[in-house]
Formats: sequence, structure tokens, C-alpha cells
Amino acid sequence: MGARTRRGWRKVINGVNFSAFVVVLFIGLPLYWLIISSFKTPPALGNSPPQYWPNPWSGANYAQAFNQYDFGQYFINSVIVTIVATALVLIFGTLAGYALGRLPMRGKFTLMVTLLIISLFPEIALIAPLYTLLKDLGWLNSYQALIIPYTAFNLPFAIWILRNYMLGIPKEMEETARVDGAGPLRTVWSVILPMALPGVFTAGIFCFTACWTEFLMALTFNINLKTIPVGVATFGTALEVPYGTIFAASVVAVVPIGILAFIFRKNIISGLTSGAVKG
Amino acid sequence: MASISTPIERAPASRGLAGRPDVNRRRMARLGWGFSAPALIIVIAVTIFPIVYSVVLSLSNVTVSGNGITLGGATGSNYVQVVKNSTWQYALGFTIIYTIITVLVELVLGTLIALVLQRLVAGRGWMMALLLIPWSMITVINAELWQYIYEGTYGVAGALLGLHDILGNPLQAIIGLMIADIWKTTPFVAIIVLAGLVMLPGDIYEAAEVDGSSGWSTFWRITVPLLRPTLAIAVLFRVLQAFGLFDLPFVMTNGGPGTSTTSLAILGYKAIFQNLDFGTGAAVATTTALLVLIGCLISLRGFKVQVGKEGM
Repeated sequence: MGARTRRGWRKVINGVNFSAFVVVLFIGLPLYWLIISSFKTPPALGNSPPQYWPNPWSGANYAQAFNQYDFGQYFINSVIVTIVATALVLIFGTLAGYALGRLPMRGKFTLMVTLLIISLFPEIALIAPLYTLLKDLGWLNSYQALIIPYTAFNLPFAIWILRNYMLGIPKEMEETARVDGAGPLRTVWSVILPMALPGVFTAGIFCFTACWTEFLMALTFNINLKTIPVGVATFGTALEVPYGTIFAASVVAVVPIGILAFIFRKNIISGLTSGAVKG
Repeated sequence: MASISTPIERAPASRGLAGRPDVNRRRMARLGWGFSAPALIIVIAVTIFPIVYSVVLSLSNVTVSGNGITLGGATGSNYVQVVKNSTWQYALGFTIIYTIITVLVELVLGTLIALVLQRLVAGRGWMMALLLIPWSMITVINAELWQYIYEGTYGVAGALLGLHDILGNPLQAIIGLMIADIWKTTPFVAIIVLAGLVMLPGDIYEAAEVDGSSGWSTFWRITVPLLRPTLAIAVLFRVLQAFGLFDLPFVMTNGGPGTSTTSLAILGYKAIFQNLDFGTGAAVATTTALLVLIGCLISLRGFKVQVGKEGM
């Protein structure tokens, strides 16, 4: 009896599970700190030694983020910019990925390498000229000031993922569609797209995350139309950093990504296994 | 170009579906350009113009006035000024060392986590969801979180480790930045490596087991070589991101104490938007871009990966 339980325990406490536990701690502890800190009362945030468990629990930081600061508006701005840019990237990226992966175009290789090199360029190298350009167009502090650059910066990577994914789709599929008399756009929409969905999900998650978290361009172009990163960075004054408000806003900002991550947690790997890594 | 023969155009010719494969192929090629056009136009409009403009700026005498900037004659002085500047030299060294250390640590830790996840029987989906959170977290938030952890009087690092001036001490501030970065980005590397591990052919491992290869030597002789293209992609992405390091130190330390955490991107940003020195800023930006390109080529070389060779 005793021996059996011990063996049973050994099944649970093995090297793999122990390591997984360590990983959970490594990732989870800072997240734990972020979440519980957002529920401390503002004075308790400055306690030394710190409270390891909020006492009492308080929603004051959340009220502060939405009332004293315009966090609701920042959130809406982020959602608009991110969703529109991601949709554009997926539409244009799917079409270009299909063309580069499956259609006989001259100079495809040069094009792919050019795209790769463009995607390597650090943002800082492009920020000043883009700023001047947007200023001349009168587009500073507008949604398009972020949507257009975000679309352009995320397209090359999305095209790479999608193109690699499309290479793996059997060619008979679209030939059947062609014989049935479907036009090219229709073929992409009803034959290729459903088969490429895992790749589209992966490209979409990467793009969504990149737009949702982008800071440098949002700070430079849209200081009066703040997205969440800029809003959070500019909370408070030079003398006082209102950590509670920042963390409350942060928890709210993590929610959409958390939901996406939970829904697509299995698709990420399958999208990557037939996608980016192959090329 | 070598790319002319792709599976798709060979098919109709061999089946004789369209009597004139040449015409058909030309039609398909036109279609291809039509499909690619929207993506190409937006990418070129937003990136090529700024790249060219940035290079022109960096090579000109730029004067900033109330109604914009005017370009004087061509000059190399911006570059000379930048390269001779000790702050730039420090920022360059800092960025390179920061990139090398964080990418190496993330690669090792990320691979270990991926190996654990691959062997994990229960709860893999939940672990994936957990891994996605730090990776997809806004860097500014990550910076604020760790700033709070490191805070001198009430930070938890002070209470647990007795370190009360982490962000005021250059070496500790650098290490603190690296830890925040590693926490956020290791999950990304782990996800990419796991995707690579899942794709490895299982029969090789069976053969290795039959041959009596130990776990350790199987890892080094089979897993690592087969994983090389995957690792190369992870490294490429991370080198790129790390070299453009901006958000984290901008919020956490603002490049300080002193200039000890001033990365090239922060230096460029401050030159342009705080000192309004567009010529120098552009020179910093352009040299950074060049170094990124070189760095990526070197790391790809190191992994013996030829870009675009497969499947082209």
C-alpha cells in the first residue's frame, strides 16, 4: 500500500512536471505581482515591506484609471488601430502570400528577399522621415497615422508566414476550382483561405500583438490620440508614478490578448509548424 | 530566374489542360502581380521613401527652423560627429553586449522550456496560454512592472534581496533591464523552438534509441542540428528586436543612470526629438540599420542558413 502511493507520487513528481512547475513560477510570479498590486489601495502600494496579498482589496486604481485618466479612450484608440491594421495585413498578406507561394511570377525570389530586408529595418531609422511626411499631410494625431505604418511594417512577416503555409497546400485543390469555373479571387476565398487558416491565425496573432504593444511610433505621431502604451507611459507626473493606476490599466490591457491567447493556444503551434519555421 | 519553375505552372502543361501553357502562365503571372500589388504599394510607400530620405538627411547639412527643416550641401560630417562621439561609442557597445547576452540566455532558457513542454503530458494548452501572456504584454507595462519591483523603498526586490538602489546603480540597472527583457521574451523563443521540435521526424529518435544513444548525446547530435533552421529564425528575430531596444529602457531608466542604459535607438530618438538634431539623428539611425543588417547576416551565417533557398 505504502509503496504503491509512493510510486503514484513519483508519477506526478517527475523531472518534467517539476521543471514545468519552475517555468510556471518564473512566468507567473511577476504576473501575480502585477495583478495583486492593481488591487491594493493606493497607500498600501507604498508599504515597506510590501503586502504579498492585498489587504484590503480595493478597486480604487481601476476607478482612477477610467475617471481621472482617459483610459477608456486610449483603449478604444488601441482597439481601432490594432483591428484595422491587422485586418488590412491579413487581406493584403493573404493575396500576396498566395501570389508569391503559388503563382508563376518572375523575380519572386528578389521580391521575397527585399521584403525580408525591409522587415529588418529598425523602427528608429524610419521614424523621423515618417514624422515629417505625416506632418506635411496633416495626419499627425489621426488613426491613419498609425494604421498605415503598422500595416506596412507587419506585412513582410505576414507574407512570409502565409506564403510558406500556402506552399504546403496540395495544388489539385485549386485546379478543381478552376475547372469548376471559379474566378481567381473566388478560388482564394473559398478554396485556399480555408486550408490556410492556421497560417492566417498565426500571422494574425503576431500582427495583433505587434500593433497592440507598439510604442515608439504611437508616442511620436499620436501624442494627442494616445494608444494604451503611450497612455500608460504618460500616467502621473515627473514626481510621482501612480503604479496602482498603471497596473489596473495594464490588467485591463492584458485581457484582450489573454482571451486571444486562450482561444488560439493550440493554433499558434500548428500555424507555425507549417509556416514560418519551414522557410 | 530560378523561380520560374514552380509546381503550379508545371501542372497544366503536363496535363494539357490549357492548350497554350505559355499564355496561361503569363496570365497567372499577371494575376500574381495584381494580387501582390496592394501589399507591395503600401510597404514601398511607407518604408522605401523614409529609408532613402533618412540616408539623404544623414548625408546633409540640416538646419531646423520654425517652418520645418532645410537641407544644405552634402556632407559626411554627421557620421564623423557620430562615430567620434563617446556617448555613441558607449551606446553601441551597450547595445551589442545587451543583445548578445539577452539573446543567448533567452535561447538556452527558451530551448529548455520547449523541451519541457514537448514532454509535458497534461496541461500543455494551459502552459501555452501562460507563455503567450508575457510575450504579448505591452513592453511599457513590463517596464513599469519591473520598475515597481526594483523600486528602492517599497520594491519587492529590496524586501527580498536587500537591493535598494537597483535602478540607480549602472551595473545593477543593466542586469535589471536584462532580467525584465528575458522574462518577457523567453516565452517567444520557447514557442518558436517548440514549433520546430514538433516537426522533427520521430523515427530518427527511435533509431537513436535502438543504437543506445544517451539522452544527452541524442540532444546534441540529433536535436540541435535538426533544429538549426528554427533556432536561426528565433535568433534572427531576437537580434533584430534587441538591437532596436527602445521601449524598455525609455520607460524604466530613461537611458540612465547617467547614460549607462542608453541604447542606440534611445540615442537616435533623443538626438532627433529632444535636441532636434535631425542630421545626427539620421546618422545614428542609419548606422543602426546597417549594423542590424550586418548582425543578421552574421547570425544567419553562423547557423548556416541560406535565406529563401528552400522552396524557391
